[in-house]
Amino acid sequence: MEKHVIEKIEKIVGKENVLKSYEERKCYSFDARAQGAIPDLVVFPLSSFHVSEVLRIANEYKFPVVPRGQGSGVTGGAVPTSGGVVMVFTKMNRIKEIDKENLIAIVEPGVITYDLQEEVKKYGLFYPPDPASHRYSTIGGNVAECAGGPNSLKYGVTRDYVLGLEVVLPTGEIMRTGVRTMKGVVGYDLTRLFVGSEGTLCVITEITLKLIPLPESKATILAFFREVEDAAVCVSKIIAERIVPAVMEFMDKASIICIERANPIGVPENTGALLLIEVDGDRASVRSQVEKIVSVLKEKGVSEFRVTYDPIEAENLWLARRTLSQATYNLNPIKIAEDVVVPRSKIPVLIRKLEELSGRLGIPILSFGHAGDGNFHVSIMIKDEPQDFKKAEEAVREIFRETLRLKGTISGEHGIGILKADYIDMELSQEALSVMAKIKKLFDPNNILNPGKIFPKHILSG
Amino acid sequence: MVKKEVIEELKRIVGDNDVLTSKEALRAYSYDGTTNWIKEPDVVVFPKDSQQISEILKIANKEKIPVTPRGGGTNVSGGSVPWFGGIVLCTTKMNRILKIDKENLTCTVEAGVVLQDLNNALAKEGLFFPPDPQSFLGATIGGIVAENAGGPACVKYGVTKQYVLGLEVVLPTGEIVNLGGRTLKNVAGYDLIHLFISSEGTLGVISKAELKVNPIPPSKKTIIALYDDVAMAGETVYRVLENGVIPGKIELLDNWVINRIEEMMPLGLPKDAEAMLLFECDGIEEAVQKETEKVVEISKKYGAKDVRVAKDADEANRYWTARRAGFAAVFGKAKTVLSEDVTVPRGKIPDLIRRSQEIAKKYGLELVILGHAGDGNLHPSFLTDVENKEHYEKATKAMEEIIYAAVDLGGVLSGEHGIGLEKQKFFSRVTDPKVVNLMKNIKALLDPNGIMNPGKIWE
Ligand SMILES: Cc1cc2nc3c(=O)[nH]c(=O)nc-3n(C[C@H](O)[C@H](O)[C@H](O)COP(=O)(O)OP(=O)(O)OC[C@H]3O[C@@H](n4cnc5c(N)ncnc54)[C@H](O)[C@@H]3O)c2cc1C
Ligand SMILES: Cc1cc2nc3c(=O)[nH]c(=O)nc-3n(C[C@H](O)[C@H](O)[C@H](O)COP(=O)(O)OP(=O)(O)OC[C@H]3O[C@@H](n4cnc5c(N)ncnc54)[C@H](O)[C@@H]3O)c2cc1C
Repeated sequence: MEKHVIEKIEKIVGKENVLKSYEERKCYSFDARAQGAIPDLVVFPLSSFHVSEVLRIANEYKFPVVPRGQGSGVTGGAVPTSGGVVMVFTKMNRIKEIDKENLIAIVEPGVITYDLQEEVKKYGLFYPPDPASHRYSTIGGNVAECAGGPNSLKYGVTRDYVLGLEVVLPTGEIMRTGVRTMKGVVGYDLTRLFVGSEGTLCVITEITLKLIPLPESKATILAFFREVEDAAVCVSKIIAERIVPAVMEFMDKASIICIERANPIGVPENTGALLLIEVDGDRASVRSQVEKIVSVLKEKGVSEFRVTYDPIEAENLWLARRTLSQATYNLNPIKIAEDVVVPRSKIPVLIRKLEELSGRLGIPILSFGHAGDGNFHVSIMIKDEPQDFKKAEEAVREIFRETLRLKGTISGEHGIGILKADYIDMELSQEALSVMAKIKKLFDPNNILNPGKIFPKHILSG
Repeated sequence: MVKKEVIEELKRIVGDNDVLTSKEALRAYSYDGTTNWIKEPDVVVFPKDSQQISEILKIANKEKIPVTPRGGGTNVSGGSVPWFGGIVLCTTKMNRILKIDKENLTCTVEAGVVLQDLNNALAKEGLFFPPDPQSFLGATIGGIVAENAGGPACVKYGVTKQYVLGLEVVLPTGEIVNLGGRTLKNVAGYDLIHLFISSEGTLGVISKAELKVNPIPPSKKTIIALYDDVAMAGETVYRVLENGVIPGKIELLDNWVINRIEEMMPLGLPKDAEAMLLFECDGIEEAVQKETEKVVEISKKYGAKDVRVAKDADEANRYWTARRAGFAAVFGKAKTVLSEDVTVPRGKIPDLIRRSQEIAKKYGLELVILGHAGDGNLHPSFLTDVENKEHYEKATKAMEEIIYAAVDLGGVLSGEHGIGLEKQKFFSRVTDPKVVNLMKNIKALLDPNGIMNPGKIWE
């Protein structure tokens, strides 16, 4: 990037908000899973005006701009594919307003998810979307990926909480979409087009979020099963009983073994699956939900279970789930992670397929995830060897094929980024992709905003 | 005018019986739920599947003939009126429920399925589709999705867009595209589903939908609270929510509506009450019991002079039937009704009511207020008569002031009825021109010849 362009940018945002050294720039070349190119410059805008001015320059000089929150994404969304500017939102991190009467919060994109959750709690309110990364992910990143989490079955995903946005289009126009009201149908729903667009259609500079009252209490249940099928039957039966738990996390046998080795929690012998269930609401209804769930568990062959109403005790029950992600690295140093979703009733079919694949290819494949909405995180653990990468590639294709055969999707919440771009046409038809590509071109004629993401290479050029 | 050869071609596609060109038929398809927008099409066609829709659109696109999709024709913003003539594409013969998946709580339906029919079929499995436009006897899923319809239950359950998992749409150029799928989550590529939801038939024809459904809550209770002041009722609404109770429904009816109800189906409501709130709490029995107690307590605290809890399902049903009859009565009592669909942040409901009352007073008009108060969505209405020019003009002016008052309070001009023809002039005035421009560009991208429902949303 030429010196005078850098100077122009420095003039807009201030020298103190620009990083130029190689070491510093390098830190912004990867996210939680992908390694990208090293950017030419890292910029920390403080306002939508800054964002707009930088984008105008980018259009003039045709360099890429990559929006970034905390880089906790796992598909490479926030990493440059070919230099340019990484635009980091961590300095735009004010909670501008919490409106208790209307159950609304207005925030800048760099607010950390957990900070918002804690702040609204003080008002007796609740911001439900809870990606496991909530302690470091930003709301901007959550909106751009349409993040979900364990409680999505009951509470929905980020999309369901975004009422309105202020965005800057790739060409520099600042505009507002959406509403501050609970409903509104005024033309096309641009807000929802922007949610989940992975920083490729606009830069998000302010978000109006819907909040809900904080549930009065909750209870946590940890249940062990011999077979996955038993666990799956329980999930269906609980929902058929008209109970909607806030959380229903599932773990397969491979995951349980992995945890028990790293961090023993006393799993009974021969356990083939585990469910972590949480119900919330007012006290009376929590008790009655627990009673009903317990009777379903007993009836459907649970081998052992634990129940608690105590938040500290609950943390212990969560321990296995929280430490699992890290523990997987004890198996092998490299993780290929997938984020497939299948209709709930097809969970056992998918799990058996994974077991079969793991056995056939001779590599550990673990799966755990949000059983309530059928969203599974599949971890293929491999060594840093070419043959393992080949096997992993084969496994991924087969997993996607099976997922799609079961009428599922290849990404429930992590997005496509660069890591899944080559697979997206397994799911989306050429027609659908072509409409998306046209929309991208309409918004970003010079293809400067986060280029190289979502679309397989031939789509945008063609 | 649509050429004779084109009509022949349409007959070839859908069959002779499903192409209407008689004078009476064209008249029947010249209006919708609004009565002040009327325009006859040249031809009405009833396709039976997405393939036929695709062929119809290909011809229309080639010949540049306007196509207006139509479901039940119940919308109240002029959305399905063929403003530039051409073809009305009516989906009522695509009315099959293809699948109800009890285990995954989803269903697959054709666009022409009427909501009531769907709910009857779902009820057999203990399920329901939560968004409940009060026109459920006639409204189709296609129209509901195209308008992003809501209803009383949306306070707790959210509007249509929260229940659409997948769509099959036919683009104006004839391509059949599948969007989304059958799962609760999906982030593969851009969210085109939501671009089609609330697009009012201007981007393409919805041919099939994959919907999320809910189990019918095991227990329900209906509560009515009566007030001497409409604004006090408005305040109760957000106080209830603020106290952590989210009832299944909260509806507001004013004195005018209460009196019409008493005339039609006496429920023993005090005729001097200025307003009534109608609540329904639903869920697990214990929770319903507790919520009901809280609603009663909060209503009293914020000024209700009388609060009743329905003893049984029968009594509850009477109240809800009255609510629907009340809305219908608004339209039945005058030659012309101006009924708006403004939505404000819930804390502003009392302000909106007070401002509307002041405006009505200023113009010497009788105001009727009712609506889905729980989500801040009210339908303030004036009874008037287009032929009484002076009165009609006054009513129109007053309504404009109410709309701007709502926008001023941080609200929007339509919560659920859409823009169609009816609200265009406000839409362009309250919407950022950059945003309108972007929407128009998206429209042009998908519909290069501008054949899909032209004349709607913007002028
Ligand atoms: C241990 C771990 C657990 C996780 N668990 C979950 C989970 O349970 N559920 C889940 O959904 N995800 C999960 N994730 C993934 C990740 O945390 C989410 O995708 C999160 O939303 C990313 O937020 P971020 O601020 O780090 O965004 P980044 O990674 O910085 O960016 C993500 C994407 O958003 C874009 N973006 C960021 N800010 C903006 C902006 N202001 N305007 C426009 N575009 C922007 C970027 O360009 C990029 O495409 C997990 C990740 C890790 C490492
Ligand atoms: C008494 C009464 C009460 C009402 N109550 C409510 C209420 O509580 N909440 C609410 O939201 N609305 C309400 N409405 C408005 C109306 O019923 C809704 O807008 C409904 O969604 C329209 O459905 P429909 O099938 O009649 O569609 P139509 O009126 O036929 O069409 C509506 C729009 O959708 C388009 N469209 C229809 N089918 C398709 C398709 N397959 N593909 C693409 N576009 C299509 C049309 O072009 C048009 O723009 C009420 C109306 C009446 C008369």
